[in-house]
Amino acid sequence: MVQEVAIGHETVRWEPVPAEDAVVQVQNLNLFYGKHQALYNVSVNFPRNKITAIIGPSGCGKSTLLRSLNRMNDLVPGVRLEGKVIYEGVDIYDTQVDPVEVRRHIGMVFQKPNPFPKTIFENVVFGLRLQGQKTGLDEVAQRALERAALWDEVKDKLGEIALRLSGGQQQRLCIARAIATEPPLLLLDEPTSALDPIATERIESLLIELKQHYSLVIVTHNMQQAARIADRTVFMHLGVLIEEGPTNQMFTNPRDKRTEAYITGRFG
Amino acid sequence: MQRGLIQDSSQNPQKQQRDRINRVFARAVVVPTVIALALIAVLLLDTLYDTVSVQVVEVTETSGKSFALGQALTADQVIRLELAAQGKSEQEIAAFMSDPDEMRIFRLRNRVELMWATQDGPLRWVVSSLDDTRIKNLSLIEGLRQWNELKQSLNENQQLRLNPWLDYSFLTRDPSRNPISAGLRVALFGTIWLLTMTLLISIPIGVGTAIYLEEYAPKNRLTRFIEVNLRNLAGVPSIVFGLLGLAVFVRGMQLGPTLMAAALTMALLIMPTISIAAREALRSVPDSMRLAAYALGATKWQMISKVVLPATIPGVATGVILAAARAIGEAAPLLMVGAAAYVAFIPRGPLSEYTVLPVQIYLWISANLSEFANTAAAGIVVLLLTLGGLYALAFWVRRKYRVEW
Repeated sequence: MVQEVAIGHETVRWEPVPAEDAVVQVQNLNLFYGKHQALYNVSVNFPRNKITAIIGPSGCGKSTLLRSLNRMNDLVPGVRLEGKVIYEGVDIYDTQVDPVEVRRHIGMVFQKPNPFPKTIFENVVFGLRLQGQKTGLDEVAQRALERAALWDEVKDKLGEIALRLSGGQQQRLCIARAIATEPPLLLLDEPTSALDPIATERIESLLIELKQHYSLVIVTHNMQQAARIADRTVFMHLGVLIEEGPTNQMFTNPRDKRTEAYITGRFG
Repeated sequence: MQRGLIQDSSQNPQKQQRDRINRVFARAVVVPTVIALALIAVLLLDTLYDTVSVQVVEVTETSGKSFALGQALTADQVIRLELAAQGKSEQEIAAFMSDPDEMRIFRLRNRVELMWATQDGPLRWVVSSLDDTRIKNLSLIEGLRQWNELKQSLNENQQLRLNPWLDYSFLTRDPSRNPISAGLRVALFGTIWLLTMTLLISIPIGVGTAIYLEEYAPKNRLTRFIEVNLRNLAGVPSIVFGLLGLAVFVRGMQLGPTLMAAALTMALLIMPTISIAAREALRSVPDSMRLAAYALGATKWQMISKVVLPATIPGVATGVILAAARAIGEAAPLLMVGAAAYVAFIPRGPLSEYTVLPVQIYLWISANLSEFANTAAAGIVVLLLTLGGLYALAFWVRRKYRVEW
């Protein structure tokens, strides 16, 4: 069954990102969970060293789109995908590409903080250990924790179990863990939805810091958050990419009436 | 106030009746708890009571002296005094005690122990020879009541003793046809050997099964069938495992009545328990942990070995300890696969003969000398203490290493 909204739909694009500035290019992506189609012909370029927010009402496919950027959808049984996701010139869904290798290049932070029940240090260096790195772990851990704005709070208790940290600290630890391996692209799936406003504010300013070093794609439920931190915004609805463009333009002057309705809070 | 919710309700007859019913129920459910605790207490006390008896002993030859604690603190010092009392000179004693063969024979023929009461006074070392004949073996209360009469009616070379069967030397003595020198050493070593081998076999199989079923196997009818059967297997009477072991390992694989056959049988017996505990532990690891590992570029095996398995260690360890406690207490399957024979030596390897604590206790209980009832009681206390220790360990592991997700 094809959603009505998908028929003959043309995405509204403002100042599209040129291919040479894009870290990831999604081209004509269709994604199915069994018989249910979750993404309809999505094409979008995510710019380098910028924050791109994906917004939209629940069930619109924004998390699905995010997870298709690092092949996390592969873990869902019965998932099928058509189209291309080109990262650094390579289609990550090419049969030659190992999904494990993809995920080592693209970091991910989840909705709920999910540190491992290990020490803070072991959490940060987990990705490096996976890749067999044995030396220089201390320096990497310190740099990652500093970038994640957590170093000052935990430098004296790196050997403590990470689960004892507060929710906000845990989430920053998860960010540190994700960036310890220096992934050029960092995906964040509603990273602050389980946090209180103060922790959220810290994470947001951290993300703005991080875009010097990394390209970020963030899924968020919170339009104020998108407005505060995102350079570009992508609006999804029912699996269709409705409108994408620079955040301030899209928020002040949405062209599609659905975007306008969502942004002004009439649904979602 | 119009509904009367906060009015004084103590005069309300309905409330009084509700309170009465509540009180009756609260008391009624205490009764079974009290009964259960009382039964356990009676069992324990009865067993402990049987580990002590009052004996009238007819001693042989020159021996049979008792020594005060002030004279000798260690068993070796007691032996020295005993040898001196037998009329040996200083040099002879020194030579005797430095000769391991002589000492071994001495210890085989004599039992040196600290007794709470003898007719010479309380807390004295007593050296008993195996050739001593015990005229009477009375239970504790009976013996203490008749203590003075017995003391007066003693013949010249008879002695009156309060014998604590459960002492340190009980753990270090070999089994014997003579209850006074029978000990648990062989059974203890057998238990340690058997438990180690059983765990070495059953942990990899049990945990491996759990990992396969939880992490790899497709969730279909076949895996559900296996799961249900695993749970059923945990409830099969242990004697059935004994029969299986007898048919497959002892006869089929021609292992004979050896430790190996017993370990394989016991491994089959406790494998379902371990597997179920491991599955519960694996299930309690949230999927967010698996996703986090994958997102960092872990392969499936890295995800399992570096994130999931470490997080399951407390659960698996608790399950393994509880399964071990079950294995230690089992006698029935081992009687089937050949632990019943009298074994005088500690096991030398996986293919030796063996005996274990519960089988040793069973043999003592079924022996016809009344004093073996005392050694059996002492053995039961040792077994219960071991089990209690294992349960305490499991409790501690669970408390200490529990992960609060």
